[in-house]
Amino acid sequence: MTSVVPEEGVPEEEDGLLPVPPSPAYARRQNIVAALIPLALGVITGIMSWSLGVGTLSNPGPGLWPLAVSVAMVVTAAVLVLRSGPTGEEETFTREALIVVVAAVSLVGYALLFERIGFEIPTVALLVLWLKGLGREGWRMTVIISLGTTAVLYLLFVTGLGVSLPHILPF
Amino acid sequence: MDFFSPVIAGFGVVFQPENLFYCLLGVTLGMLVGVLPGLGPAATIAILLPVTYNIEPTAAIIMLAGIFYGAQYGGTITSVLLRLPGEASSVVTAIDGHEMARQGRAGSALGIAAIGSFIGGTVAIIALTFVAPLVAGFALDFGPAEYTALALLGILLVSTLGTGSTTKSILMATVGLLLATIGQDPLAGTSRLTFGSDQLLDGIDFVIVAMGLFGVGEILYSLESLRGKSAPAPSVGSVYPSRKDLGESKGAITRGSLVGFILGILPGGGATMSSMVAYAVEKKTAKHPERFGKGAIQGVAGPETANNAAATSSFIPLLTLGIPANATMAIMFGALLLQGITPGPLLVQEKPDLFWGVVNSMYIGNILLLAMSLPLIGIFVKILRIRAAILAPLTILITMIGVYTVRMNVFDMFLMVGLGIVGYLMKKVGFEPGPLVLAFVLGSLLESSFRRSMRLFDGQVTGFFGQPIAATLLVAILLIIVVPPLSRTLRKQRRKAAA
Repeated sequence: MTSVVPEEGVPEEEDGLLPVPPSPAYARRQNIVAALIPLALGVITGIMSWSLGVGTLSNPGPGLWPLAVSVAMVVTAAVLVLRSGPTGEEETFTREALIVVVAAVSLVGYALLFERIGFEIPTVALLVLWLKGLGREGWRMTVIISLGTTAVLYLLFVTGLGVSLPHILPF
Repeated sequence: MDFFSPVIAGFGVVFQPENLFYCLLGVTLGMLVGVLPGLGPAATIAILLPVTYNIEPTAAIIMLAGIFYGAQYGGTITSVLLRLPGEASSVVTAIDGHEMARQGRAGSALGIAAIGSFIGGTVAIIALTFVAPLVAGFALDFGPAEYTALALLGILLVSTLGTGSTTKSILMATVGLLLATIGQDPLAGTSRLTFGSDQLLDGIDFVIVAMGLFGVGEILYSLESLRGKSAPAPSVGSVYPSRKDLGESKGAITRGSLVGFILGILPGGGATMSSMVAYAVEKKTAKHPERFGKGAIQGVAGPETANNAAATSSFIPLLTLGIPANATMAIMFGALLLQGITPGPLLVQEKPDLFWGVVNSMYIGNILLLAMSLPLIGIFVKILRIRAAILAPLTILITMIGVYTVRMNVFDMFLMVGLGIVGYLMKKVGFEPGPLVLAFVLGSLLESSFRRSMRLFDGQVTGFFGQPIAATLLVAILLIIVVPPLSRTLRKQRRKAAA
């Protein structure tokens, strides 16, 4: 469908904010790696499904359907490995991707602490990290938004909706 | 009279203050996410799923529907003013819309888009009122064979008609189907592909998949451009289009309504594709095609009308067949299931209040949106100044806490973050999450109807071709698989012969 949009329809790159299209070789490599993951996964789930018992078509076992899906996945992934030319949607992993790594790790940390020490401290910490560390907001803005949001979330979920979020403040 | 009495009763449902409130809330939220680039309607609906859990079903669906079609209005604003489409369905609007803004006619572009959207949406609701019960009536006799073929066709169309590479989309669809098999076998109860985890025994909740891939995935993706300045929005001027503007757009709005309504019903069609097709139609039928790309008002009116008509009509397959036509509808499907409602042919008869309440709420929603996009547009333009650096942490927190509240389970948080990372990587490598989510939603329906058909046909796959409707659908599936590569080879050969 993209052919309908003329060239000028694509927003121009301004200040390098928009993703940089990778070189064809980079895109190809990326596509092959991306296809090999489901390929390997499909082989594993295929074997697991087989061992669940496939049964017959008139009386299928629990493994028949997952096996069929796994085979379809392996075949499609193999096609993608063979036809791995760039499709124009690939993006280069730049230095900015490091922000995403930090963010993802912080979310895992948030989930780890959430039930252990209540939601208040992790919430403030996450907000400070994202606002100040990742977003480069000013300190004043960071403090106001972090404390404000945590209070609003407390009022909304704990006081308002009566959801039993793990919390330490006894209101 | 019999036909209209439930329709009219539906208005009674809409005018309950609670439902009016959620309708207003939905369309306002929709406008907002439409204006803010990054978070699309699918992601917003996904993030709000846990919240809807506590709301009465009709009100919840009214609100979510409002977000969906409201976003079509909002997406236009950034397209026209900044040439940054807030939504994929407004990408083509940016071409002529932004050109109009450069010529100082931003107001006219936004005004005509709002009016076109209103007309397209309203025409589609009226058409839906008549078409939906017909489709539902037709689908009442559908058995497992028909549902197998229909689900397969739906998944395939979404994968092939989508914006991305077909191979990548089909691969994503198979991943979705595989994820759906995790948990207990629907018929025998054997645990499958759980890797020994008790947490996975009940399968992966749809809410987590949708929130992870769409919500967390999109937020993580948006972090890469976090430090960008928010662009200053140009002044808008009068948003009331002149009589000349209206005259020039009449044809485009009529054609856009038609194109949008039809493409919206088709699986894989939806708002994005219909806006692109409508743009192509306008350019083809125009007396002065050379004006396109240089600020032709038809290039705004056509696609904007079409994307709203499509947003409305894509509810038809969901509410009458139980087959979502696109990713957003797949999430809506999940929202209905969450409320204990299984959309399908029986919905019109068994839950007329919900059905007609939701459908009729769209009239009100469209009127509200027209009111917001004409006189109140200045307020929404100001929202463009909110920085992504502030928005991202707020949405991620709502998402994290939201997913926890569904089952009070930290495991769900980890699973969602994991899927979010996958969603981010998918976006970087050019994989659409849409086919995956849709296939995941339809996975169990597809499996159970396939297995039931196989029992009915005593293991003979040819049995499908003994059922006329199922056979027709399967032939359509074969055509979709065979025709595009065939025509590609033919074209190549013809080019070779010509050279």
